[in-house]
Amino acid sequence: MTDKIVEKVAMQTEESRNQGRRAFLKGSAAVAGGVMFTQAANAAGGAGFDAKKAVAPYAGKAELTDVLQDGAARKSLGFGVRKYPYGMPSPFEKEVQRRTLEWLTPDSMASITMSPIHQLHGIITPNGLHFERFHGGVPTINPDDHRLVIHGLVERPLIFTMDDLKRFPSVSRIHFVECPANGALEWKGVQLNSVQWTHGMMSCVEYTGVRLSDLLKEAGIKPEGKWIIPEGADASGMSRSIPVELAMDDCFVAYAQNGEALRREQGYPIRLVVPGCEANMWVKYLRRIMVHDVPLQHREETSKYTELMPDGTAQRFSWYMEPNSVITYPSPDFKMQGPGKYYIRGLAWSGRGKVAHVDISIDGGRNWKEAHFTSVVLDKAWTRFEIEWEWDGEEAFLMSRVTDETGYVQPPMPQMRDLEGTNNVYHRTAMVTWRVHAWEDGKNGGLVENVQY
Amino acid sequence: MYNTKRTLVVASVAALFTGSVFAMSDISDVNSSAGEKINGKYAANYEEIIKKADGKYLDRDVIEAILGKDAAHGRDGLVGKLDPANPYSFEVDDSIDGGNHGNSQCKVPKAFTEVHDSAAVNYFDDATFTARGFGTPIAEASLKKWNISVDGDGKGLPDPSVGMTIEEGGKIYVQFCAMCHGEFGEGAKGYLALAVEQDLVSSHVRDPAPMKSVGNYWPYASTLFDYIRRTMPFWTPNAPSIGDAGYMGMTGYILQSNYIVMDDEGTELEDDTFFNSEVLMKMNKYMPNQGSFFCDHRPVIHNDRCMTNCDDSLVGGDGLGQESTYRQARKLPDGTPQYNTPQRMHEDKPGVGHSGM
Repeated sequence: MTDKIVEKVAMQTEESRNQGRRAFLKGSAAVAGGVMFTQAANAAGGAGFDAKKAVAPYAGKAELTDVLQDGAARKSLGFGVRKYPYGMPSPFEKEVQRRTLEWLTPDSMASITMSPIHQLHGIITPNGLHFERFHGGVPTINPDDHRLVIHGLVERPLIFTMDDLKRFPSVSRIHFVECPANGALEWKGVQLNSVQWTHGMMSCVEYTGVRLSDLLKEAGIKPEGKWIIPEGADASGMSRSIPVELAMDDCFVAYAQNGEALRREQGYPIRLVVPGCEANMWVKYLRRIMVHDVPLQHREETSKYTELMPDGTAQRFSWYMEPNSVITYPSPDFKMQGPGKYYIRGLAWSGRGKVAHVDISIDGGRNWKEAHFTSVVLDKAWTRFEIEWEWDGEEAFLMSRVTDETGYVQPPMPQMRDLEGTNNVYHRTAMVTWRVHAWEDGKNGGLVENVQY
Repeated sequence: MYNTKRTLVVASVAALFTGSVFAMSDISDVNSSAGEKINGKYAANYEEIIKKADGKYLDRDVIEAILGKDAAHGRDGLVGKLDPANPYSFEVDDSIDGGNHGNSQCKVPKAFTEVHDSAAVNYFDDATFTARGFGTPIAEASLKKWNISVDGDGKGLPDPSVGMTIEEGGKIYVQFCAMCHGEFGEGAKGYLALAVEQDLVSSHVRDPAPMKSVGNYWPYASTLFDYIRRTMPFWTPNAPSIGDAGYMGMTGYILQSNYIVMDDEGTELEDDTFFNSEVLMKMNKYMPNQGSFFCDHRPVIHNDRCMTNCDDSLVGGDGLGQESTYRQARKLPDGTPQYNTPQRMHEDKPGVGHSGM
């Protein structure tokens, strides 16, 4: 299925690329035949609007203006209110989907989909495009029957209904949520030519819920309680061990996501939010928090979500997501439209706080220029950056590098590989490189390709 | 280079065990004016240094001032973080976690001052807190069905009277597990293998990732019982028809398939061994790979924010500064680059650099 979609998309992209090229050739032919116009325009010295530079019929781009006839949208009534009591995107956006790679896992109940981050804008991921990661499929839970229990090394073990939880003071915060395997495919070398595949195991949404510290204080942690062990109500009984300091930092139990109830894929009716940390700690369908003196040593913190080093040792309890960034435009999902001005834009984020700087290189990391932010800069949230770039049509190597407020600077891939090897699976947070093919590079002209050093 | 680290890890863990001095390479003293040091190695006034740098606790200069110059680049920094006294270490003292074969723990490093400050405000300073009285008290006894957690010390395991022989456990395994994991734990249909003998050391970065399974990777045997009862069989976890005795039997069968021993003499499980929580906890101390784990040691790289004419080591081309020596994705015969080619061409098994998720 995915195969077919990708083939279709590939075909469509090829078509539109050819169209773009035809238009470009047509355009340049017209310019060649009308050098006078250009000279006249230059002579005017940028004195405002120049009718001679306007599109069709002057520039010969008839197809641009064909649609100036009133069409159906103007000549007949559209649909009325409540046709869709719950609104859906325009059918023309149907290619904007989360996608999976069918060879990743043997079944869909313990698998992952990636968000189409190259097609997102701003810093909020729509609920329907939030990436998915299931360890045992998605349960459909009736919130009336759902309970959260806090027990173990506490003064008062407590059981909460959903109504109880919503009575507590609420907190709304925007945070990114990222699977530590995001980028895992790229450890040994380049595998995939799309930001969706290389960086799509993450999303960023606004959560609303109850501070975990409020709940734990209500139950009263005994002095010997050093760890909390959240557990899900799904078939995987997902569980992790989190030290009390981390739980008390800024965790909360969320019941809402982007203004509405959590989606089932994201843990309806409640999930744990552990800002800045591995998404598998953000236990979904949260039903129990055991306060304990030692960690559980659950399979998802001993066998999985540990990083194998080249010498055979392994790193465990790697909670934090290190600072990371990626250029989403231009990226391998797009083709260049010819030499000229571009606005390189993308996402930067840090599991340890706010993004401080994003720098962009167009020469593979030799020289850098600071980009500016086009979004608000929030703690442990996606931050949008942008920078103007005048592309001369020559081959270029685009890279983005984040520095967060702790002073950490995102490293290049060879450096990370030297120290960590290539078998870690998780936490590949080094920079990626997009190679922009020269415009005059035969049929590959203007192609953007994922390459690695 | 890699072998050095393994040796260092093993050596340092052993050193901590016998209480002798932690061995590490010298760090140059960039902060001698600060006076006292933790264990004679780290700047004791690290909080002050971080504060002066506006809280930038991962800034290269700050790291150099606290840990010394060598710690800011290369492997010396990683090795230093095995010492729990290092302000950037996630490790805890062996007195807390029982050491190499105990229930190992990790912590949030002391130098992550922001986290500790925030936790203190949110919780540990509860002078102003008054309980709201929301929620209903519940007796621990009524949680029996839900409380299925077994920790690394074996707390939560069934009574030793619950269990069965390895032979009986094997029969249950064949009935419920073998179709996906293979009769002897060799794996099937892309599902995880449970028993493979494979070296975890990789000699070259381009070599296929080693397979990780119970015998060669898992640090705890207790995890196996917790996980199987919690999640298996995949289509009906924690099945009453299998019951704790059945889950115990399966656990034993898998441990036997991995040749895990239960004492210094190397005694293995026999087919007629009655496998219960006591035997399981004996084997918990003999999981071969248990001593190979260490706490998070990131960040491992502390670069300057170089802006112009950056060093060759920071530019592409494997440290030679040649931006043109990149590698591309392999393409399918039809030229499509979108997919993981070796796996799509059935040269490799499914998985993200390892088998299964």
